[in-house]
Amino acid sequence: MKGLFSRARLTVASKYLMPARQRWPYLIGLILTIPLMAVFAVSAVAGKAELVSNGPLSSNHALFGQDCGTCHEAFGSVTNARCESCHEKSGDPVKAYAFDTHYRYRSQEFDRTASSSSEGACFSCHTEHRGREQVITHVADTQCASCHFKSVAQHPEFEFVSHELKDPANLKFEHTVHVKEVRDEHELADIEQTCITCHVARDDGATFEPIAFDAHCGECHLTSSTSTKPAPLLASANDNQPGVLSLETIRSLRGPGTRWSFFANPNEFELLGESISKRPVYHADQWVMENLRFLRGRLYPSAELADLLRGSADRAPQDITALYEEAITTLATRIAELKDDPSRTVQAELEELTDLLATVRQRLNDPFSPLDENRFAVSVGDRDSSLSGTDREAYVEVVNALTNPCQECHYVEQATIKAVQTDQGNLIRAEFNHRAHILHARCLDCHNQIPIRENVANDVEATEATDNAEILNNPPLATCLTCHSPKQAGSECITCHVFHPDKGRRSNLLRYHP
Amino acid sequence: MKKTAIYQPKRPGAPGWFNKWVQSPRWLIGFAIVATLCLAVYSVGAMYGQTTAGSTLGMSYGVAAAIAGVAVVAYGGRRRAQRIRSLGRTWYYLEIHVYGGVLFLLLVFMHTAFRVPSGILTWVLWAASLWMTATGLFGLVLQKWIPTLLASGLSTEVHLDRIPELIVEMRLRAEALLESAAEPVRALYRREVAPVMAGPQPRWIYYVDATGGFRSRARPFERIRGLLPDADRAALDEILELYRTKLEMDAHFTLQRTLRLWLFLHVPAAVLMFGLLALHVFFVLYY
Repeated sequence: MKGLFSRARLTVASKYLMPARQRWPYLIGLILTIPLMAVFAVSAVAGKAELVSNGPLSSNHALFGQDCGTCHEAFGSVTNARCESCHEKSGDPVKAYAFDTHYRYRSQEFDRTASSSSEGACFSCHTEHRGREQVITHVADTQCASCHFKSVAQHPEFEFVSHELKDPANLKFEHTVHVKEVRDEHELADIEQTCITCHVARDDGATFEPIAFDAHCGECHLTSSTSTKPAPLLASANDNQPGVLSLETIRSLRGPGTRWSFFANPNEFELLGESISKRPVYHADQWVMENLRFLRGRLYPSAELADLLRGSADRAPQDITALYEEAITTLATRIAELKDDPSRTVQAELEELTDLLATVRQRLNDPFSPLDENRFAVSVGDRDSSLSGTDREAYVEVVNALTNPCQECHYVEQATIKAVQTDQGNLIRAEFNHRAHILHARCLDCHNQIPIRENVANDVEATEATDNAEILNNPPLATCLTCHSPKQAGSECITCHVFHPDKGRRSNLLRYHP
Repeated sequence: MKKTAIYQPKRPGAPGWFNKWVQSPRWLIGFAIVATLCLAVYSVGAMYGQTTAGSTLGMSYGVAAAIAGVAVVAYGGRRRAQRIRSLGRTWYYLEIHVYGGVLFLLLVFMHTAFRVPSGILTWVLWAASLWMTATGLFGLVLQKWIPTLLASGLSTEVHLDRIPELIVEMRLRAEALLESAAEPVRALYRREVAPVMAGPQPRWIYYVDATGGFRSRARPFERIRGLLPDADRAALDEILELYRTKLEMDAHFTLQRTLRLWLFLHVPAAVLMFGLLALHVFFVLYY
């Protein structure tokens, strides 16, 4: 015995006692772990991927749930190539998914480029395995913040505000006087009702139908008393003097797109000595347009493609497709008119038109052919250099006389009516949906750059400086931020912005490709 | 001076709770700096891009967590190789085990972007990590609290493994004393002491009062003591001392066993976590 301890005099242990080994906790741990690891490993081998997956796939990819190999490569990663097997190829000539395209599409800065090393994998933004409800196109702000500002509070002012951009509407228009007219005509009590009288929402409510002359303007403009100013009448199309063609001359030419002339009323024309005028004048009056084309042909003989359009080739970038479609429609109509005429000259022209139609169609339908509005534009280079300055002025005088009623609202340049741009594409970097806003704000709460509400309420005549079509009647950023903040309406980047271009307008994407 | 746990200099100016709970302020400060750095890196990273487990930063946090985990496990290995002096003092491993364990969980949270993983394997892994660290911290509290409780009011110190044999020794001695004792003493023993002497008896009261309410239990002894002759009074006093010592043994048994049973909460989860971590790493590399 080594001795006694404690007040009860208990015997001291005969040898030093080491703490007992604690094997059971480890054993229990192993008993739990080994079968569980086996279950996970076997499930992975057997194709029960949901056990080892980092989370359920989004509903878009849910059907691939059991087959990891659809997206994953052994000891690799999820490559863009796997995504491309279903989605568009990021590396194709259109480069819909490339940073270059993003820069150009959103900023319209066509010299911006990104090195190939900065191109991220699809999954770096579109994170999978975060549950069925996860929308993988819903990219977090932090992804955008890696290049852009970090929060909506740091959002720069809209460019049309900071750079005081003008609205390229190509229209002589004053809102106040029209609002008053519509209000009085329809006896509307609410000023906002006058807005929706002309600005008719599309079915989706996001945007509005373009203003149509017949529906919205024709009631007051181009009435039966409207006539063109007298313009010199040419004896024939070969007459080299500045002047216009009579209805009879146009009929006799039997040129493309002149079938209308056989149905036009000769009594609408008035001969005043060697001049002629027309009354009434219709919107896009065929006689006026045909003579305008004729005069443009004299002034700008090389600008033949401009004849395929009713107005100028001015279009917002997103509307270039419509430009081509208008050209196709014009060509198709002309071809249809010429088909029945057996004369050799007409058939030769028909052949040319058919070739041209095929070219325009091919360009529109081929996603890899860039669309170019300049092909339809009249430029200084198209001028007839043989014309003297005096001759040119004389021609312009005839053009002005012919288009005098048009110029009440339209601009006429280079013997072409400037096309009214219904969508100026001011929000080139963002999307906007009126439907989502209309319940929360009245039209003039946001569209307040022209003081329509004040002018109408105070019965004040608007001045040219404060009310014209060039004023972009869109609100500054601060107006948006009154509702869009982290605590109120959505203020994420993707609330308004989209990284990838609209792939529905695939041919337009080539504009963003160097 | 050796810088092991018991030789750590106490801070005379520091409050008692600090001296009790913090063995080395330098380790605490070091941990605080590393944890703050980790959170700063995470915050900066989160400002410049979405952190997910699969992103570059998220992966880095995961790798760092795995490294911290391996460092934490080293403590168990060091304890099993105490004879190899060249491995360094076990105390350092213990500090790494404690602070590294908390850092491990922080890195796991950063790896998962402070979200609960939605995958089954990753959820089990995350839950096991959380459980392992929580029970580890619970064990840390027990390691600080139970020794203090045992030192407050108990006169006997005893090794848990010796308690059964010492109880037998005490019972035999008490029964030897009873052979020559008066009937009232024998009756009192049979009624109050014999059931207690049967073996180790863990009781909840020891978590609150390490003496197990000995004072009230001793009152029957005091009541008959004045009625007994001197010879029986000495026997009664010795039986009472054995009775008190037995209750202290029970306190040790209850509390020391808690220190051992706590491992059943901590270690299996740790083994499970590291097993699944290995599987997780494989799947991440494979997929």
